[in-house]
Amino acid sequence: MFSNGPITPSQLSLKDLPWLIYWDKEKCQLCGRCVAACPVRAIELGTFRKRIVETPINNKKAHSNVYKVFYGIKQKADPAHACIGCGLCSKVCPNDAIIPYHNEEVDKLRFHINLGGQPRRRGGRRNDPGTLLDRIKFIRISMLTDPALDAGRHEFELRTLLGRVLPPEENLRLYKEEGWTPPVREIYPLVIGGMSFGALSPNMWEGLVMGVTYLNEELGMPVRMCTGEGGCPPRLLRSRFLKYIILQIASGYFGWDEIIHAIPEMKEDPCAIEIKYGQGAKPGDGGLLMWYKVNKLIAAIRGVPPRVNLPSPPTHQTKYSIEESVAKMIQSMYMAWGFRVPVYPKISGTSTALAVLNNLTRNPYAAALSIDGEDGGTGAAYNVSMDHMGHPIASNVRDCYLNLVKLGKQNEIPIFGAGGIGKRGNLAANAAALIMLGASGVQVGKYIMQAAAGCVGSESDRCNICNIGQCPKGITSQDPRIYRRLDPEKVAERLVDVFMAFDTELKKIVAPLGRSTSLPIGMSDALGIDDYHAAERLKIKYVV
Amino acid sequence: MGQKIRDAYYIPGMENGKRVDSRILEERIQRAVEQGYRKIEVEAYGQHGIGGRLWKAGNEEVLIYITGAPGQRVGSMGFPNTKIEILGNSSDDVGWLNAGAEIVVHGHASNGIANAMAQGKIYIAGNIGARGMTMTKFNPRFSHPELWVLGSVGDYFAEFMAGGIAVICGYNPQNPENVLGYRPCVGMVGGKIFVRGKHGPFSEKDAKRVQISEEEWEWLTNNLKVFLQRINREELFEELSRYEDWDLIVSKTPYEKRAQGLKSMSEFYEKIWCKELGKGGLIGDLVDYDRSPIPIITTGELRRYIPVWENKKYAAPCESACPAGIPVQERWALIRDGRLDEAVDIALVFTPFPTTVCGYLCPNLCMQNCTKLKYNMSPVDVTLLGKASTEANPPKIPEITGKKVAVIGGGPGGISAAWQLRLMGHDVVVFDREEKLGGKIQKYIPKSRIPEDVLNKDLERIRKVISHVQLKQDIDKDKFKELVAEYDFVILAIGAQRPRLLPVEGKEMLISALDFLGKSKRDEIKPGDRVVVIGAGNVGCDVATEAHRLGAKEITLIDIQEPASFGKERQEAEKIGAKFMWPVFTKKITKDGVITDSGELIPADTVVISIGDVPELEFLGEDIEIEKGFVKVNEYYQTSNPKVFAIGDVVKLGLITDAIGAGRIAATAIDEISKGLEVTIPKRPEIDKQRMNPFFFNPRLVRYQDVSECASECMSCGRCRDCGICITLCPQAAISRVSLANGEFELVVDGDRCIGCGFCADVCPCGIWNLVPNDPVC
Repeated sequence: MFSNGPITPSQLSLKDLPWLIYWDKEKCQLCGRCVAACPVRAIELGTFRKRIVETPINNKKAHSNVYKVFYGIKQKADPAHACIGCGLCSKVCPNDAIIPYHNEEVDKLRFHINLGGQPRRRGGRRNDPGTLLDRIKFIRISMLTDPALDAGRHEFELRTLLGRVLPPEENLRLYKEEGWTPPVREIYPLVIGGMSFGALSPNMWEGLVMGVTYLNEELGMPVRMCTGEGGCPPRLLRSRFLKYIILQIASGYFGWDEIIHAIPEMKEDPCAIEIKYGQGAKPGDGGLLMWYKVNKLIAAIRGVPPRVNLPSPPTHQTKYSIEESVAKMIQSMYMAWGFRVPVYPKISGTSTALAVLNNLTRNPYAAALSIDGEDGGTGAAYNVSMDHMGHPIASNVRDCYLNLVKLGKQNEIPIFGAGGIGKRGNLAANAAALIMLGASGVQVGKYIMQAAAGCVGSESDRCNICNIGQCPKGITSQDPRIYRRLDPEKVAERLVDVFMAFDTELKKIVAPLGRSTSLPIGMSDALGIDDYHAAERLKIKYVV
Repeated sequence: MGQKIRDAYYIPGMENGKRVDSRILEERIQRAVEQGYRKIEVEAYGQHGIGGRLWKAGNEEVLIYITGAPGQRVGSMGFPNTKIEILGNSSDDVGWLNAGAEIVVHGHASNGIANAMAQGKIYIAGNIGARGMTMTKFNPRFSHPELWVLGSVGDYFAEFMAGGIAVICGYNPQNPENVLGYRPCVGMVGGKIFVRGKHGPFSEKDAKRVQISEEEWEWLTNNLKVFLQRINREELFEELSRYEDWDLIVSKTPYEKRAQGLKSMSEFYEKIWCKELGKGGLIGDLVDYDRSPIPIITTGELRRYIPVWENKKYAAPCESACPAGIPVQERWALIRDGRLDEAVDIALVFTPFPTTVCGYLCPNLCMQNCTKLKYNMSPVDVTLLGKASTEANPPKIPEITGKKVAVIGGGPGGISAAWQLRLMGHDVVVFDREEKLGGKIQKYIPKSRIPEDVLNKDLERIRKVISHVQLKQDIDKDKFKELVAEYDFVILAIGAQRPRLLPVEGKEMLISALDFLGKSKRDEIKPGDRVVVIGAGNVGCDVATEAHRLGAKEITLIDIQEPASFGKERQEAEKIGAKFMWPVFTKKITKDGVITDSGELIPADTVVISIGDVPELEFLGEDIEIEKGFVKVNEYYQTSNPKVFAIGDVVKLGLITDAIGAGRIAATAIDEISKGLEVTIPKRPEIDKQRMNPFFFNPRLVRYQDVSECASECMSCGRCRDCGICITLCPQAAISRVSLANGEFELVVDGDRCIGCGFCADVCPCGIWNLVPNDPVC
């Protein structure tokens, strides 16, 4: 409806919105599909009145005003129904008559997205399309200097270790004394990072675990997936597939009583336990699963009543110092599985990562350190946290690795890096860069959602409505009317595609380095970048 | 060492105790061929590439015998005219890039045998090392290259093999457990490998085992004879020619490679996933609803939103604004249906003054709240309908079955209450101290605003309904007590009759507005040329208009603030040239006029005070609570004495229509109380004006010609016009109109067709359809 009345500061026009709808009257057949599909109801049927005026100069009596009504698709201008650019309208249009496009100027909506004093919250990713990882090149190509390997012909063992690796003499001593040695898992270096059952839809989650299981059982790739904080379905806890799963414990402890109850019935130990202290997308902030997403199913898995808000505070409640927090949590989690399962903390990328790492080096139980950089994604966070908080992953991982080198422990505590890997589609290249900077492996989330489930979110603030339960692809919704758009089997198939393709690409990168049996962790002489300062900072070659 | 082969031209690889350079040896072999030698013996000392490139002999066959220890790449780039026999073992890459030569190695050969061979044949009497038959080709211009190995082959055999035939006889192999070596056939895209004897796995991604056909077997056995004859082991033929000992490995076609023989995901789901987790997979134990894939566009239960036909759920803005609660939009609907009489009559359900008030005296709040105003369009003109209501037929008057009710005051409020009560079957008596019914309308409102015959018409009808009217009845304290005791209920509707005055010098010279209007209506007053009205409200405006009618030429209305007058009264006053002044404070009144506090004189022959009136309440007993000079009531106009109700100006100064509405509510409350019911004041919430669609209506329509134009241009907010636009527009043809028994109708949606697009809600001119979220599935 057009505005006729006093305007308020926050009444916007279409020109002020970030996404505009292009609609073609000629092509449109008024089938209603776009309007029915739009996740935010940004469009409606418009009734348009066309005035046809006839004013012949010589015959005043023949002047006429005729009004004709015609129909079409109309975009709404009010902020509550602002187009998110997801393109579902275009997807369902039989005639290609509609498509959203980005407003060329900075939208005005962003100045009014805090109505009621509530700052903008959303899901998705940092609205910054750039990534340093993409600028890192692999400059060491061994042709005649080292035995050159052929990615297609040679056999590769692209595995990494998750767990505390003791120095050989220590290991031998303990072996002789029959002492306890830390559990170590040999896993695939590309790990699916923590995305909870609840943040993701049941079909998405099942698809991911199914794909992971397929990769393990049909293709022999020891791929692991982290649950995120939302518990773990009881059937999975009691199945042999549990060994492919990293259980996450975070500040809300959701689902953990259900996990504890399942321990006596477990056929297999989980791969590892990840203690989440922070998340790259919203460092220092907690999470909140809104009540409307907490249906009976989510409630059962998390061990709570349905339709209540589920807050995860920014911090764990009973931990007061780094020594205490880390030691206490790691001990407790080891104890739960009789010291057979590696336990490691995950922190958000931070300038204080070294302090955490140094603490871990002194803790003989610490199995790894996982760092989630600023480019990590999330189902829901404050925009300010997402866009402005956190530490880039590359230098964080690099600093930690070089510190381990200084301590002579670079082979003892694996560092896992996450956040923005494959942000622009270059999954294997980004992963390899991070590995050569010193990561033992990487964790990915958003890339998996985009590749395995068709997430349309982007760094240009497209879609990014994971938090409202209306995900156009059914990835982050708990409403069966939406998430049934996603077929778990197809997700699993795509996940398998992703890992197989990643595997080939990773081989294409490491083969010319002459590596086939161990990952080139910290092999930074193979890296170069065309930015002098970045090169200096990362201690890699400056190449132009 | 010396020459070993008879008749051959001998080229030694060692001369004077010094090894001949590969380049020199090559020159000597080429020169010998050029000179016509066709049988040459080379005694080799590790020289490179012996026996290749002998094209200078043209089509003539050249035989090369190699004794000693040849270097790498014997027969490389060999021509079809060349036959090479190595009498002992051989080094790497025999027949590299062979283009047709036949090469026999009578001993073992090391790595890279036949690498990149495209034509020709290589016969090995022993075993070979790693990477044999790799990168071999088949060029359709020539026949297949062949590699024959009596024993076994080393690791990575046939990598990237792209053509040719390899035959591994497995006789006396280096490793009897595996004659094919480790990881053979990686990247193989063409050719065949016949293999005899035990062998390990090969790259099944690239190659496959097939049955040896009759034709192939014939080829193998025929050529096996040739091979054995070349290496002088013909005695082995029988042992090596048992069909069951042989396997044939061929490359997969690109198509076969695409289908990699992996388990499909649906097979995995059934056979692995659900077998371990149970039926329904990951959460089959926790949910009982279907989770199978659905399309984006869905119908029925799977729709995210569903349309609801909310006909008459909300009050139209006109109805909502009308204090008397008249459903104006319904009256226009009746006219659209051709039922003008009913449209007129229905007003009487809500008001006894359909013409007087709706047509003349009311500021028409209904029109002020008309949705069309929101779009700068003229509101539907209800006064046309009001004026058309003079002949409205009163409803049927029921028998008296209810309570006895006394109504004190025969103005619009009292009449409204009495009218309603009588029509509910109660016994009502109206008491009024005047000679005629009608209160202020009768007594004070100028004839210019309400023609006498119009008012009389309404009053006539009223008298037919309310038969018990006692006029000229002054109610004092005792009489009131008596009435309260005698009647079941008493309704106070005495209005506000006592003018408020100003405590200024000369106040005795003021004439009150009501006094003035009463007298002017009877033409009993001559105001003179100049009139000042203190208080510029609507009553003041009426005074001004009347003063003008009575000959005043200079009329001034003064007020201490911006005048609150509005509507017709104000317009009329302005039309006759009355002057409005504010803020003006009155200091005193003199015979010359009004002196303001600034000392200015506003000359006047008559000064009228019109700053409001207050009720006269002295006769009420102590049990009726008074607040700031007015009777205090609850939301249905009951006073602190439950038997006594109060309505109209005695409660709060207001419009005539406010008093009429209050009368109806008080009457309804009394009816419900007398029936022992709880008092309800039903009022539908007003419809959100956003819901209506204005684009079907003419925005240039300024004045409505008649009631039928009003009816057709009414947006019918919240009440279905039965226009059928939604039915036509629904892309799924999901909406249909169903006639109901009582002559009504409804629109119903076929959920199995509807996709929840909301076109119906978006298009509806009347805002009936509402698209609401479907009930949650879980």
